Amino acid sequence: MQTDRSKRVAITGLGVFAAAGRDVPSFARALRDGTSAIGEVDLFDTSPFPAKIGAQLPGFAPLDHFTPRQASRLSRVDQFGIMAAGEALRDSGIAGHYSPYDLGVSMGAGASGMLKCEAWLKETTAGRKASPSMLRGLLPDRTATAIAETFDLCGYQSSIATACSSSASSIGWGADLIATGRLKAALCGGSDCLSLLTFAGFNALRLVDPEPCAPFSLGRQGISLGEGAAFLVLEGADEARRRGATIHGYLLGYAVAGEANHMTAPEPTGADAARVMRAALDRAGVGVPEVGWVNAHGTGTQLNDAVESQAVKEVFGERAARLPVVSTKGLTGHCLGAAGAIEALATVLALKGKFVPQTLNCRGADPQCDLDYCHGGARPSGAGVAISNSFAFGGNSSCLVFAG
Amino acid sequence: MNPTSDVVVTGLAAISAAGVGTQSLLDSLKRGRSALQPVPEEILGERGHLWGRAEAFKAADYLPPLKVRKLDRCSQLAVVAAGMALEDAALTRGAVDPLRIGIALGCGFGGIAYAEEFLRGYFTCGAEGLVPMLFPNVVPNAAASNASIEYRLKGPNVTTIQRFCSAESAFLMAKRFLEEDRADVMLTGGVDELFPGMLTGLKAMGQLRSFGAGPGEGAGLLVLERGSHARLRGARVLASVGEVRSVGRFSPAALGEALDRLLPAPYAADLVSLSGTANQETLLLSRLPSSRRLDVGYVIGRSLAMGGIAMAALVSLLKPGLTGLQLAASPEGPYYAIDLYGGELVEP
Repeated sequence: MQTDRSKRVAITGLGVFAAAGRDVPSFARALRDGTSAIGEVDLFDTSPFPAKIGAQLPGFAPLDHFTPRQASRLSRVDQFGIMAAGEALRDSGIAGHYSPYDLGVSMGAGASGMLKCEAWLKETTAGRKASPSMLRGLLPDRTATAIAETFDLCGYQSSIATACSSSASSIGWGADLIATGRLKAALCGGSDCLSLLTFAGFNALRLVDPEPCAPFSLGRQGISLGEGAAFLVLEGADEARRRGATIHGYLLGYAVAGEANHMTAPEPTGADAARVMRAALDRAGVGVPEVGWVNAHGTGTQLNDAVESQAVKEVFGERAARLPVVSTKGLTGHCLGAAGAIEALATVLALKGKFVPQTLNCRGADPQCDLDYCHGGARPSGAGVAISNSFAFGGNSSCLVFAG
Repeated sequence: MNPTSDVVVTGLAAISAAGVGTQSLLDSLKRGRSALQPVPEEILGERGHLWGRAEAFKAADYLPPLKVRKLDRCSQLAVVAAGMALEDAALTRGAVDPLRIGIALGCGFGGIAYAEEFLRGYFTCGAEGLVPMLFPNVVPNAAASNASIEYRLKGPNVTTIQRFCSAESAFLMAKRFLEEDRADVMLTGGVDELFPGMLTGLKAMGQLRSFGAGPGEGAGLLVLERGSHARLRGARVLASVGEVRSVGRFSPAALGEALDRLLPAPYAADLVSLSGTANQETLLLSRLPSSRRLDVGYVIGRSLAMGGIAMAALVSLLKPGLTGLQLAASPEGPYYAIDLYGGELVEP
């Protein structure tokens, strides 16, 4: 149990580049106002699929941010990642304070450069020639490398690829890198973009809602996919204070676990989801009464939302009925490899802004989801601690515990 | 040199072009004979290329037919190798609380073969051509997760990828999870698969040369546990784990600092295992003038998570009292230096 609060891991930088907001101020506004980014998708042809919508970053023009050469060498995911990472690093004011070998990147990866690879595969499948450069970003680790190169981060560099919990796990692991002294500052987060692979895949599994996703709501039919990137800069609290950094909040602890149950379905009783929440609280040295609200994984699928609600009841007991459990996916879409990071950022911003975000798109009360989901709107909160859950294909689960 | 923590290796498994099992790998290394085979001409449209397919590995020899059909090749390799490593560590089912055993696995090209097949179905036949059962295995964590499902590994479960250091990255994580008491036992290492589409892509990008004599595939798994846990159950200790040092990339302005962080002077190891493109890192190698070198890549081919097989070979060859070093590198970074000591280190 981590109880020595002088050794806390501080959050000194925040950055986001997502459909719901292209920087922290605009994302924070959308979060507070409940402005959804889900709408039309024109990155590829969605007409063959039952669900045709998603949270696409609208009108993104790489040449507004990168030189033609850079834009051609970086995938959409790399570009999102660099934009968000740049904002987080600038916000942290960390430049010049540490050796480049004390600055590293711990990144959650997703579809990466799949979008360009799909175009290559489509052309070559049709017997046409396509530029091999389209394959450059295929591997999920490419974005971490691109970010490290761009910002001269020469310390530890790695990508976690555990599907929808990737970037939450990468943030937890970033705290370990700080706690062990391996890094003085860790840029942690994730980046992901819409791709035909994931759009077709989730549609093929009938897990996509044709309407904007409605987490914890009656009649929910599944997820809405989204895209974007978010990063947090983590540092030891003492060192951050010594250099006069602004501290946005603290990462008190985390847990990762495997359900060892099924590749796509959550363990149905919620016992494993409850276990990872309990383990994270234990690591954080935080008692159940201290938790002000839960940023749920809340995908909007029938099974996830019912199981997660059950797990919250198991962890919080009688308090669960009064504990706000929110999903921001109606706002951001499900950003897969970046989801955990975007939701971590939302949690930190809401703790800092002293409010609980709302869960959008309620279609009615579901008897299986009978907690307080803030469907009525964001509300003021004096909570000092909140947790953020992430669950994934393969049963890979993560839980992060944040303090304001 | 002393280990920095009480973490030991108690089990190993290797499946590679050299064959199934650690012994076949050691035999090939001893003979110094490459197990690489010519890539069939129809794949690349020309002759003269080699690859290290694990041809001796037939999933159906180890798994029931339904499971063979359900799992992608990476998952097949991981599931079978995990079973072998657990058996090597004498960890029978139920020997460890499922909540206290986890997996941290490096995986390079995992999921891409199924992603290609899934998308090709769409590009060929439209939405009717999509095969839903392929999609769950397009994620890189499918291999580790399928292994976790097979052996009820409910502890920490993480898949890492970072260039040619994917397995070393996972190894660092597994070690930390044990030190922090997040688990009693961790499976770690790496898994990769080779498939024709991958070779086509690598050739198109001109990256086949990064893989040295040829790309390889396979799984290399290690069972790590805290020494106290191993001693309590009377486990055989193959090696003790020392420091894990890592640098993300070399800064041209501070190259010496990177080398010092990876191999602090004076540095000595009896046996150095080279993984990824470490065999080309002349500056690092110049700090190891008298160490015997082991490069499994020449024998079985190179892959992004080959570090698992390389570490399995290193531990197998590390006699008690000898010091070993796993040195891994990628052209763009990262770099890893992992200290391993043969047998169990006893406090003087």
